[in-house]
Amino acid sequence: MSDASSLHLRIAIVDDEPLARAVLFEFLSAEANVEVVAQCANGFEAVKAVSELTPDLLLLDVQMPKLDGFEVLDLVGKDVAVVFTTAYDRYALRAFEVHAVDYLLKPISAERLSEALTRVRERLGRGERATPPDMMAAAAQPREGHAHRVLVRDGPRVHVIPVDKVDYVQAQDDYVCFRSEGKDYLKEQTLAETEASLDPAVFVRIHRSYLLNLSRLARMDQDERENRVAVLTDGKRLPVSRAGYTRLSSLL
Amino acid sequence: MHPILARLERLASYLALWCAIGVLEGAVLTRQGLTWPEALVQVLPPLLVYSFVCLSAWYVCRAMPLSTSGVPGVLTASALAAAVAAVLWLILNEVWLGTLESMPETAPLTMRFRGQVPFLFAVSLMLFLLVLSVHYVVLAFEAFRTAERQQLELQVLTRDAELRALRAQVNPHFLYNSLNSISALTGSDPAAARRMCLLLAEFLRTTLRVSTQERIPLAEELTLADRFLSIEQVRFGDRLHVERSIDESALDCQVPPLVLQPLLENAIGHGIAGMIDGGTVRLDVLRHGDRLAIAVENPRDPDAMPRARGGVGLENVRKRLTIVFGGAARMDATASPTGFRVALDLPSTTDV
Repeated sequence: MSDASSLHLRIAIVDDEPLARAVLFEFLSAEANVEVVAQCANGFEAVKAVSELTPDLLLLDVQMPKLDGFEVLDLVGKDVAVVFTTAYDRYALRAFEVHAVDYLLKPISAERLSEALTRVRERLGRGERATPPDMMAAAAQPREGHAHRVLVRDGPRVHVIPVDKVDYVQAQDDYVCFRSEGKDYLKEQTLAETEASLDPAVFVRIHRSYLLNLSRLARMDQDERENRVAVLTDGKRLPVSRAGYTRLSSLL
Repeated sequence: MHPILARLERLASYLALWCAIGVLEGAVLTRQGLTWPEALVQVLPPLLVYSFVCLSAWYVCRAMPLSTSGVPGVLTASALAAAVAAVLWLILNEVWLGTLESMPETAPLTMRFRGQVPFLFAVSLMLFLLVLSVHYVVLAFEAFRTAERQQLELQVLTRDAELRALRAQVNPHFLYNSLNSISALTGSDPAAARRMCLLLAEFLRTTLRVSTQERIPLAEELTLADRFLSIEQVRFGDRLHVERSIDESALDCQVPPLVLQPLLENAIGHGIAGMIDGGTVRLDVLRHGDRLAIAVENPRDPDAMPRARGGVGLENVRKRLTIVFGGAARMDATASPTGFRVALDLPSTTDV
C-alpha cells in the first residue's frame, strides 16, 4: 500500500456551528487529494449525506441537536470512517472504544487535522471496514442508564422510536426487527446487544428470538402442542421458551 | 444527654465538689460537739443523693432558655424547682435520719442534728440555685461555641461556593469553543476575530474581578451577561436570538456576582444548542417594591435526551443564594416538554 498516503479522500464535515465547519473547510482546502463533499449542520443531514454521497470520512462533532456524534456513528459507522471533533476531552475514551479513527480537540490545528487524515488513509489503505461491526454495539450503548429511544436508519432517513412505543423486538439473521405502532424497523444488530441497551425491567427475553415489552403482555396461553405463548394487547402471539417463562414469572 | 452525666470525669469532679460541701456541713456539726465521723455519717449520704437531684436543674435550663424566656419566667421556674428540690432533700434527710434512729448505736446522734435542719434546708435551696446557674453558664458557653462553629462552616461554604461558581463561570468548553471560533474567523474575517478576542478578554477580566466581590450592581451583572451572549452569538449565529426586558429601576440593585450568567449558559447549552433551528432566550428583570425578579426562559427540543450533568450550574446558583440571603431568596426552575424557565426572586437591596 505504498500509495496510501496519497489516497483521495471524500469528506463530509458535520458540526452544528458554522464557524467550526468553516475552519475545518479552510484547513482541508489546503490539503492535497481531499474533497469536501458535504457540510452538515446536524446528525440527520450527516446520515443523509452518507447515504447519498458515500464519503470516505466524517469529521463529526459530538454535541449536536437531535442526534449526537455517537448516535450518528451508530447509524453510519460501518459505511464511513469517523474522526470526532469536540471541545470536550471526556468523550475521548468512548470515541476509541467505538473505533473512531481519531479524536480532535477544539480549537483544532491544521497540523493535527493533517495527522488525522494520514491515519484515515492508513486505515482505509489497509482495506479495513470503516468501523468493525463488533464496535457498533458499543456506540449504541448509552453511557448511563438505558436507551430511551431506538435509532434506525432507513437509507438517508433516520427513524427515532421512543422505547415505550416498541412492542417487541425480533431477531432476524444479522438484523433485529423493532415492532412499533404497526410498523417494522430493521437494524443491523444482535438481539443480545439490543437487550443490553434496553431496560431489563421493561424488556424481557421471552425466547431466543424475542424481546417483549412487558406492558404489551395481555395474557399467557398455550398452543396446540402445549408450548407457552404470550398474547399481546393487540392480539399478536409470540412463542415463550421455558427459560423465557421463568424470566417472565420472576418479573410479574 | 446531660452534660455532666455524659462524661465520667465531669461527674467525678461534680461529686468531689459536693463532698467538699459535705465536709463544710460536717464542720458546722462538729462545732455542736459531734466528732467528725459522727457528723459525716449523718450529712454525706443524703447530700450525695441530693447532688443527683440537683442535676435535674439542667432540664429546667433547657425548658427555660435564657434567650427566649423572660426574666420573671426564669426566676419563677428556678424558685419553684429549688423549692421542690429542697423539700425532696428534707424528705431524703428524714429517711436517712429515720434509718440511723432505728439503729441503737447511732440513734442518740440524730437529736442534735435535727436542730440544724432548717439551716440545712436553706443551704440546700441555695445549692440547687447555684447548680442551676452553673448549668445556665454551661449552656450559654455551648451555644456560643456552636454559633462560632456555624460561622466558620458558613465561611468555608461561602468560599467553596465562590470557587465553584468561578469554575462554572469560566467553563473551559466555552473557552475552547470560543477560541475555535476565533481561529475560524482569523482566516475569513480578521476584524471579527479581533472583536471576538476583545469580547472574550473583557468577559474574562470582568468575571475574575467581580468573583471576589460579595455584591455587585445588577447593571454590571447584565453587562457581563451581554458579553457572554455576544460571544455565544458569534458561535451560534442565526440559531441564537435574545429578547431582553429590563426594568431600569432594577439596575442599581445589589446582587451576588455571577448568578445570571449560569442561567444563560444553561439556557443556551441545554436549550438552544439542542435545537436544529435554535430559538429565543428571554431575559426578564423586574423590580417590584422590595423584591427583584429575574427570569431566564428558553425553548428546548422535546425529544432531547435529559442530560445527566445538567443542573449543576443551577444548583450552584441556588446554594449561593441561600448562603447570601438565607430564606429571603428563591429560585424556581420549571420545565415543560418544550421549554425551561428559571426564576430568581431576591430582596432588592440597593445599599452596598
